Amino acid sequence: MVRRGQTMRFQAFALCMILGLVGLAVVTAAQEKDMETVSPALGLRAEGLIIARCSVCHSADLIAQQRLPRARWEATVEKMEHWGAEISNDEADLLVRYLSARYHPGAPDQLLPLDSELRKAEPLTQEPVAEGPLTGVAARGAGIFEHNCQACHGAMAIGGMGPKLVKTPILKQEDLFWETVLHGRGAMPAWGSVLSPQDIADIFAWLSTK
Amino acid sequence: MTVARRAWLKRLLNGLGAGFIVNYRLSPTQAGEEAPASRETGPLTVRVMRPYDAETPVREFTSYLTPNHRFFVRSHFGPPPPEAVSEVHWKLHVSGLVERSQEFTLKDLRQMKAVTVTAVVQCSGNGRAFHRPKVPGVQWERGAVGNAQWTGVRLRDVLAKAGVQTEARHVQFQGADRPVVASVPLFVRSIPLEKAMHPDTILAYEMNGRPLPLLHGAPLRVMTPGWMADSCIKWLTEIAVQAEEAKGYYMQTAYRIPTKPLEPGISASGSSTPVEAMVVKSLVAAPQEGRTLQPGPVTIQGVAWGGEAKVVKVEVSIDEGKNWEPARLVEEDRPYAWRQWQYVWNAETTGMFTILCRATDAQGETQPATSPWNPSGFLWNGWDRVTVTVAA
Repeated sequence: MVRRGQTMRFQAFALCMILGLVGLAVVTAAQEKDMETVSPALGLRAEGLIIARCSVCHSADLIAQQRLPRARWEATVEKMEHWGAEISNDEADLLVRYLSARYHPGAPDQLLPLDSELRKAEPLTQEPVAEGPLTGVAARGAGIFEHNCQACHGAMAIGGMGPKLVKTPILKQEDLFWETVLHGRGAMPAWGSVLSPQDIADIFAWLSTK
Repeated sequence: MTVARRAWLKRLLNGLGAGFIVNYRLSPTQAGEEAPASRETGPLTVRVMRPYDAETPVREFTSYLTPNHRFFVRSHFGPPPPEAVSEVHWKLHVSGLVERSQEFTLKDLRQMKAVTVTAVVQCSGNGRAFHRPKVPGVQWERGAVGNAQWTGVRLRDVLAKAGVQTEARHVQFQGADRPVVASVPLFVRSIPLEKAMHPDTILAYEMNGRPLPLLHGAPLRVMTPGWMADSCIKWLTEIAVQAEEAKGYYMQTAYRIPTKPLEPGISASGSSTPVEAMVVKSLVAAPQEGRTLQPGPVTIQGVAWGGEAKVVKVEVSIDEGKNWEPARLVEEDRPYAWRQWQYVWNAETTGMFTILCRATDAQGETQPATSPWNPSGFLWNGWDRVTVTVAA
């Protein structure tokens, strides 16, 4: 019975993935027009990076109000890397491509929003959806925290610009913790596009040991 | 793709147990979406949510003093934690090329002779959004400026207690605000000793008769009347007297303008000089942009200021600058503050009209139609423009 249940679940999962991919292709084609030279996949990845890497220091509205040629976007991204934005060379290239395609000097003052339905429909993390609750690994969580959370929540999660997370009541409500990390809360941006479910489980596990 | 098909796709994904995927997507409002740049929340027009940068709607400038809660807000890192600048913990340190390093509490400063200066404070980037080609930075339009009464102690009185050495040429300031990431340069700036020793340069602890609000630099900020706000360091904690200008990004790279005019659009190069004094400028505060007016006399009013030089003339044009009529300068006339002005326009014909204004200072400088382009978009002082409709 156990085996059979697992098989059925797998089949449902596979069907869901296949239909999801078909649906994505449809949405992708529709989106191409709006984004001109930027593919939706690139756009979503870049927006995820903006939330994860840029909005550590400033909200993304500062970016969206710029209308700059590629050379100035390059200089800006380079300056931010120099100042400590945690972006790899590939990520920097991707950001420059995205920013100079969307926020170029000829772009209108009010841009159409990226398709929010697309954003909801497309899986951003490529890892398969886990079955049942994930098991976090505290040792891994420490490193993930350092790269993604520490800038605001302080070394060892003792607090900084963002609140202290050590022994915070939210750790007693795992659902609320997930909700906050995935969708953001107040000044905290959503991390759902950047952290995988396993990453979040690892961070939760690590915080729970503090 | 139609909405119906999108909804269908969403239902499909949800129905097939992909709810988990669907639910942990970004919410659309959190991904740097294009909220209109000029959206208003509360009394200020927010340009950047964090660190908070917001400008004053120009309609507020029908009053001579800009109220504290309506005054524009700008900083690089946002305010420090309130406890860092609470009266219990906060201290001002004076060091460098002085005879004796000094430490002041707020109480110490309040016991010294108090001085009040009414002065315009304006972000160097006010009007940046009007430069063409566009330049990077907060896209301020017209309201990153305000006029307030600043009360505090003379900087030179503070420096005198420390004793300035003869080789001193510059005075460097640093506040208690800190970047989120330690690798971002601190906001450190300096002013020449001459400006620091000027009797009107003060360290202000009150704004419009109230203790300086946190967003405006509590408990103490530098006030360099007539100069742009990048010299008016907020949350001041460190003063260093030096032979040289401050080092670092915010003095050596940012807040500089080219010494020679540049070809618009080229990247920064050649020699440059720090942004210091304001340039002559004026705004139309009423009527407001987009208003529909009855035919007949219309009172146009606004403000004009000239940095270290007084405003001597404000002119209004209703015909795209072909003819200019003098406005009447009214109310208080104080150095460093702005001057209010009025002009009665007899709107006889119906249609759309653009009201232009331009000011001239005591040195004979008049606002140009558009300001010289510079890579960071500083010192915009092009003619102000407000378009209205006259309809019966």
